[in-house]
Amino acid sequence: MAPLALALAYAGFLALALAMDRHAAEMRAMRRVPPPRRRALQSGGTVLVGLSLWASVTAWGPAFGVVGWLGALTGGALVLVLVLALVPRLAMRLALPLLLCGALAAAMSG
Amino acid sequence: MRQGFRQSMAWLHTWCGLLAGWILFAVFLTGTASYYRQEISAWMRPELHRGVERAAAAERAVDYLQQVGPAARSWLIELPDDRNRAIRVGWSERDGLGGFKLATLDAASGTPAAVRKTSGGDLFYYFHFDLLVLPFRLGRWLVSLCAMAMLVAIISGVITHRRIFADFFTFRPRKGGQRAWLDGHNVAAVLALPYHLMITYTGLVTFALLLLPWGVDLAYRGDRAGFQGEMFGQMRPGPKAGEAAPLAPILPMLEQAGRHWGGGLPGRITVTNPNDASARVMIARGETDRIAITRKTVLFEGGTGRMLGARDDEGPAEQSWGVMYGLHLARFAPPALRALFFLSGLAGTAMVGTGLVLWVVKRRVRTPNWGVWVAERLNVASIAGLPGAMLALLWANRLLPADLPGRELWEFRSFFSVWSLALLGALLLRPRIAWRALFGLAAMLSAGLPVLNALTTQVHLGVTLRQGDWALAGVDLTVAALAPVFAALAWRAGRDARAGRAAVADAA
Repeated sequence: MAPLALALAYAGFLALALAMDRHAAEMRAMRRVPPPRRRALQSGGTVLVGLSLWASVTAWGPAFGVVGWLGALTGGALVLVLVLALVPRLAMRLALPLLLCGALAAAMSG
Repeated sequence: MRQGFRQSMAWLHTWCGLLAGWILFAVFLTGTASYYRQEISAWMRPELHRGVERAAAAERAVDYLQQVGPAARSWLIELPDDRNRAIRVGWSERDGLGGFKLATLDAASGTPAAVRKTSGGDLFYYFHFDLLVLPFRLGRWLVSLCAMAMLVAIISGVITHRRIFADFFTFRPRKGGQRAWLDGHNVAAVLALPYHLMITYTGLVTFALLLLPWGVDLAYRGDRAGFQGEMFGQMRPGPKAGEAAPLAPILPMLEQAGRHWGGGLPGRITVTNPNDASARVMIARGETDRIAITRKTVLFEGGTGRMLGARDDEGPAEQSWGVMYGLHLARFAPPALRALFFLSGLAGTAMVGTGLVLWVVKRRVRTPNWGVWVAERLNVASIAGLPGAMLALLWANRLLPADLPGRELWEFRSFFSVWSLALLGALLLRPRIAWRALFGLAAMLSAGLPVLNALTTQVHLGVTLRQGDWALAGVDLTVAALAPVFAALAWRAGRDARAGRAAVADAA
């Protein structure tokens, strides 16, 4: 479940980054982000970050889970920032494999 | 004060960060390493084998204590768990608190482990808040002062960072120079911001009673020992009854305590006046399955094993303190969560380090005065020197003979002498050379540690990976993984410094 929390955090932050012109251009997604798409990406990103909280609480219980969620957010964001800095075109392609690994880990443990 | 609010905050951020930065870097690095204190201690005591079931360990501890201290006034037992592999016992003849003779027992045999004397990971842990080399409690006061400066720096930093959301994901290392360092500093700080706020604040709260003792003095009329006894549940031995009564078996008491806590695991066991009619056994709840570190204890009559009472209620002040202390220590964290804490701690270390370097890089060209000179050399000594010194401790642990008298002191000396030599190197050599040399040294020490381990002990990676002993293997693997990082830093440091000097030459 912990890997899933990390993967969801990564995906959520990826969506939030894509909503920004600068990072969308870096990731070769689009040059400008039209407002409706930006809103959709921001909402989607927030939802994913919220799901990361659910995964954390499921993994560690309510008390540890909230603490762990903040840690997962840090981890996911750090990975995204490093990928954007070093290999930005890979950023979007990493999302699905990470989510799949997270889901697999969750299925195996739960 | 013609400056605007943001500019004042920027000034505050710079000065609090800089002046406290070198100590804060050391505190962050040793503190982050302390998340794995038990694992490092286990690695530094390779003679210890992995623990057995706790119940059996408790019985063995009692058997041993009956041999060495049947007439002692107090016994202490700390049981092994997932992360602590040995049984630690103590016995004291004193009427009051303290005065314990300590022993480490092998969990399987219940006999004193023939373990090399070492402070283990405890050195990093104690250094982290005590600084170890200052007398009285100056170290704690200094760390507290720096932690307060850190809080100011965090808050002023957030206020100064205008584009905190727009720049959330911005990290441009290839741009080089000030921009790259500033980006790195921002990323390390913002992405783990909740953690940084938490760890600094809870660290200060942990020292609350040292820093602000007057509330306790007022409420307890100066009886600080009495307060300590109530808060931390230390049990003083009562008067002896004089009649002998053999101690009841400890296992049923442990089970009953566990049931009282709804399945909670026991931590420390204290026995007073063993083998006397007035014997008492106090079992305290452990800290690995809950966040708050508060004294929940169950008291038993020693001779009969009857439960006399329990301390469950905690006032709101005690619980608040307990939760904050617990969050800081993170003893509750299972492995994945612990790894995230460690990652955030590294981010904090990087935050302080990048901030220190940024200060120098900004001023090295424009205003190269004596302050920048001192700051640059202190940067080298702490950022590049401390990791090498920490690794030197691990090397010393393997290289020093197991039966060397005063072994712990020699390990301690290795740590501090390597760090002092790094400081000397930083002062005498040019920064570019010093950065490269010290990071290069760290790279060699970290790459070499698993090899050294294989050459000197039987618990090297070849064995521990096969046995699935992740505590020990983890130390070797983490240190080995650091080697390329240090090597890369050594390589980059040389380039950056060269670029800095070229800029100075151009400006001249």
